[in-house]
Amino acid sequence: MGLTRRDFIKASAAAAAFAAVGVPVVRPKGAQAAEEGITWGKAPCRYCGVGCCVLVGVKGGRIVATKGDPAGPVNKGLNCIKGYFLSKALYGKDRLTTPLIRKGNKMVEASWDEALDLIASKYKEAIASHGPDSVAMYGSGQWTIHEGYTASKLMKGGIGTNNLEPNARLCMASAVVAFMNTFGSDEPMGCYDDLDLGDTYILWGANMAEAHPVLFSRLIDNKLKHPGVKLIDIATRRTRTTKMADEYIAMRPQGDLAAINAIIHVILRDRLYDEAFIKQHVNFKRGKENAPYGLKDKEVFNETPADIKNLTFDEYKVMMKQFTPQWGEKISGIPAKKIEELARIYSDKSRKINSLWTMGVNQHSRGVWVNNLIYNLHLLTGKICKPGENPLSLTGQPSACGTAREVGTFSHRLPADMVVMNEAHRKKAAGIWGIDPNKISSKVGLHTMEMFRAIDRSELKCIWIQCTNPFQSLPNVSRLRKAAEARKAFIVVSDIYPTKSTEVADVILPSASWVEKEGVFGNTERRTQQWFKMIEPPGQAREDTWQMIEFAKRMGLGHLFPYSEKGFYKEMWEEYRKFTIGVGKDLAPYEAYAKVRGLRWPVKPDGKETRWRYTEADDANVKKGEGIKFYKAPDNKANVWFRPYEPPAESPDKEYPFWFSTGRVLEHWHTGTMTGRVPELRRAVSGATIEMHPEDAKRMGIKNRDKVRVTSRRGTIVLPAEINGRGTPEKGNVFTTFFDETKLVNELCIDAFDPLSKEPDFKKCAVKVKKA
Amino acid sequence: MSSKWWIPRRTAQLTILALIASPLLGMTFFRGNLAAADLFGLPLADPLAFLQALIGGMVIVLPYLGSALLVAAFYFILGGRTFCGWICPVGLITELGEKLRRRMGSGEVTMPLTASRWSLGLVLLTVAMTGIPLFEVLSPIGIINRAIAFVSLMPLLVLAAILLVEITVSRRVWCRSLCPLGGFYSILGRFSPVRVGFIENRCTHCDDCLRVCPVEEVLTPSLKLGARQVTAGDCSRCFACVDSCHAKALSIDLFYK
Amino acid sequence: MDSETTCSGITRRQFLKGSAITPLTLILAGTGVATVYLRHADAQGFTLRPPGAIAEKRFLAACVRCGKCAQACPYLSIKMAGGEAGVGIGTPVIVPREIPCYLCSDLPCVKVCPSGALDKKLEDIEKIRMGTAVIIDRESCLSIRGLRCEVCYRQCPLIDKAIVIEPRHNTRTGEHTIMEPVVRKEKCVGCGICEKSCVLPKPVIVVQKTVETQKDSYEF
Repeated sequence: MGLTRRDFIKASAAAAAFAAVGVPVVRPKGAQAAEEGITWGKAPCRYCGVGCCVLVGVKGGRIVATKGDPAGPVNKGLNCIKGYFLSKALYGKDRLTTPLIRKGNKMVEASWDEALDLIASKYKEAIASHGPDSVAMYGSGQWTIHEGYTASKLMKGGIGTNNLEPNARLCMASAVVAFMNTFGSDEPMGCYDDLDLGDTYILWGANMAEAHPVLFSRLIDNKLKHPGVKLIDIATRRTRTTKMADEYIAMRPQGDLAAINAIIHVILRDRLYDEAFIKQHVNFKRGKENAPYGLKDKEVFNETPADIKNLTFDEYKVMMKQFTPQWGEKISGIPAKKIEELARIYSDKSRKINSLWTMGVNQHSRGVWVNNLIYNLHLLTGKICKPGENPLSLTGQPSACGTAREVGTFSHRLPADMVVMNEAHRKKAAGIWGIDPNKISSKVGLHTMEMFRAIDRSELKCIWIQCTNPFQSLPNVSRLRKAAEARKAFIVVSDIYPTKSTEVADVILPSASWVEKEGVFGNTERRTQQWFKMIEPPGQAREDTWQMIEFAKRMGLGHLFPYSEKGFYKEMWEEYRKFTIGVGKDLAPYEAYAKVRGLRWPVKPDGKETRWRYTEADDANVKKGEGIKFYKAPDNKANVWFRPYEPPAESPDKEYPFWFSTGRVLEHWHTGTMTGRVPELRRAVSGATIEMHPEDAKRMGIKNRDKVRVTSRRGTIVLPAEINGRGTPEKGNVFTTFFDETKLVNELCIDAFDPLSKEPDFKKCAVKVKKA
Repeated sequence: MSSKWWIPRRTAQLTILALIASPLLGMTFFRGNLAAADLFGLPLADPLAFLQALIGGMVIVLPYLGSALLVAAFYFILGGRTFCGWICPVGLITELGEKLRRRMGSGEVTMPLTASRWSLGLVLLTVAMTGIPLFEVLSPIGIINRAIAFVSLMPLLVLAAILLVEITVSRRVWCRSLCPLGGFYSILGRFSPVRVGFIENRCTHCDDCLRVCPVEEVLTPSLKLGARQVTAGDCSRCFACVDSCHAKALSIDLFYK
Repeated sequence: MDSETTCSGITRRQFLKGSAITPLTLILAGTGVATVYLRHADAQGFTLRPPGAIAEKRFLAACVRCGKCAQACPYLSIKMAGGEAGVGIGTPVIVPREIPCYLCSDLPCVKVCPSGALDKKLEDIEKIRMGTAVIIDRESCLSIRGLRCEVCYRQCPLIDKAIVIEPRHNTRTGEHTIMEPVVRKEKCVGCGICEKSCVLPKPVIVVQKTVETQKDSYEF
């Protein structure tokens, strides 16, 4: 199935036309006669972070079929139900096809020139009178790498502000900070192969069965093949994942901090740790505590080197003495016996342990800390950087890793693990970008929550939102919507459909989506996947890179993008690639990706991918004989952090007695702007419900499907109750999904965030629940 | 015109239509239709429908029996085919059809009234033998009810066919001679004390009453033989004859004479 | 329907007196239409009735077509059958692909049924037996083909009771799981939510008539 010259020659006449414009043609097995005239191309799935490979069938300029790519190493031809209907996400009836400009309360059609001239004039005006930090761009983990790179270069290298954020701030920021402060480099050491090779999987706050469907099917297959494989689900809600797990451990919200500390306590108390590994690979550190929750505007919290204390192992042991299993039980609700048992499992030399987590850990007011604590478990027991034995943070967006993290579209980052605060990093970036190093601001830009709050404070004058839907997804969103509706800033939204965000926009730009353009995504396991443009976008819709570069030209920054029209993607890629070479994040030349179903970086000099980082077994940056080497950390050692328990920003009380959490379902993705356009998925799951524990419901006289009013200090919403359905929260908890644009459930969420990662906590706030 | 019984009667007929339509308008005091209903919490049931359900379904629900008896008692007291004259929406429509037929002067053929009793027998026999509640299946009353309450319009063709035949061929043949429910009430209401009374010496034999009566056969014993009351169960208690009588020979009696 | 010709026999006297030819024709025509209706109704085989409906044959007689169940249904799941239902005209039906039964725990439809056509002894929604869901097209079922669909399972109001997932190794990919939805006949209430939710154009899981399990003496 590899793409070779022979494939080109063998291709049909229709395919030849494709080949002429550079689209490689793949032909699935046994698909000749029935599908005459269909040209197949490869692409990664548009939805989640798993990164399934799909084959896209094009006929007459339209996608007529998509299917799982049998050659895709992630999914081997499978898809989830969203992926099955992938192409329909592009063909909703209400695609945006022309630029729109606000005239009073109406959006009127405009030409691209009018729209872009208007945007440029507004940005120029704001910069002239309030400086470059009065403008911003808010992007996405669904941006292609090229789009993210264009945005980064435009904002950081061109306009000179670090006010550039991706929506990945809402999903992966805590993982990023913990990767950086533990290993000195973002993204996991392990990969999906660990799901096949391990024998013990401990899930912390992850509903893989619904959020990472195909990956979960892979994990369960390991269990089916090897009866000894154990899956332990630690969560606050019983899910479809729970159903297939060997064991479910109920935990109170925020209990993870206490539970893991207590597990570590037992590991230390009973000397279950790997002393040799610790000596060789681990430093002990204590950070800043009594951290705030970001509830006040402009609150600043940094963990500077001066705040960090080095500890000896013995000091660390003494400090951990307080976190007894009994204490852990009191706070987390996990029985002390279970905590002892988990400590035994984590340190069992005969077991290959993997920790898997996602939003339960990351969307957490102490998310970085929980990430740190999970790494502590693996570092203290030496169960890391070995095939089948790793911690793995699962991502939620198709290119949260590739674009937001690797390109570094956060307000403090530059490509390839570099940061704007570091002069050497700025110099390197300026060098590659061919600009004056002073052009890149050393001031960290506004992080997502502050960016939107700054609109409310009238400090941010212009914001350009691409490929994401913050006015539905952000917590406490009603404050932000009100600010936008009051026209406190000039808001540009590039999207493919009308959304809750285009509703408040001053200019709406129609974008090209997925295979309507060429692009590259990077998934959870560091896999970089490329695809070619296969169809034209509808109407006047244009891709986001074109929009940004046209804007740049109007801002006098056109010189930043000197790429030729024909070699655009390759030339930009090769420029971006310079950031990654020799720093342990090496990417391959552009053509390499056209031929394969993705490569996991660091790509070795021989063009082969790396499955496990930091180990001589697979990572070319570790010399033979070095064993494991955390070569991105200052002294080649990873950090074990002392991170105590701190309570959540808001806990249930008499008036608001329930915990409230929001999340996803398998059938819909994020704010539902794409899956909501697929009639079959709407048929399957039509709207948000509020899940309750049956005993809570019974006590309140609430029956299945009864209308229930859920109220927090920030908002109120009526949802039908779902009892004993796909998910059952623990007593005292309620759960809902955020895909339903008719129910802005996130307006109930508190806008508290992790002080280190600035990632909001969508999983914990207090609500009251009443039969409506 | 000495009295105006047609006003309350028409009001009753239209009220029934309004009641059946009321749930569509979001009102909650009435549920169901003329086969079975709840009116302000009072369960009502058509006794013939009850009989069919009992025979064919072999189920007996005591409250249902109670509500059927209640309705039966109601019609027993009012007598004759009061249901047909005052309640039944088919009656209302065929009455209007009759006005049209008269104008056209067509379809003078009449069928005997007794046929409706045979029709009732046929319905009860069918449900006993086959379990098919024939009248509930074919009933134009049910069809109108559902046309109003559930906007199920196609089956109204049955009603249209009835109207067509009544207008062009045989005068009010459905209500007079075919409707088993009419047959049922004609038996039940035979012995009611509420009757049309006749004072022979006032009668001028103008035959106005015969012209307005939908079941003119019931007046014959009085007009021809001087009977003091209209005793036939087929009388629909529409009191059109009373309204039409200039001589005040016809009146309403509340007691047997 | 033979009995209706008997009816015309009764009216023979009037017929002989003349002028009754039309009513007779009417009855004959009615009989004909009714016969066609009956055949049609038989051919349909299975109609999904509201919860608590007694055996179909008795239901057809016991239901007085008053429509109160439909008026009581908060989801408009219950519709009144039209002429296409033959003898079932005016009886309540549920078309799951349009709106299935959402199993209200207080069973409002059963409560209002006057005639006993919907059995008031039914109180527990898990005891409802409207029909049984069956996967009629295994070749097309996306879950059985290895895709992560299982929409019917997750939508099932008796999830893990009436529909369960039986995972098995996917030999085609060698490293994934086929998560096959399997209907537990003894638990399925026949509400039709699975049929409604199936994402394929023709649902591969549909509610069919509940077939009593055949009992024999064989044990193992």
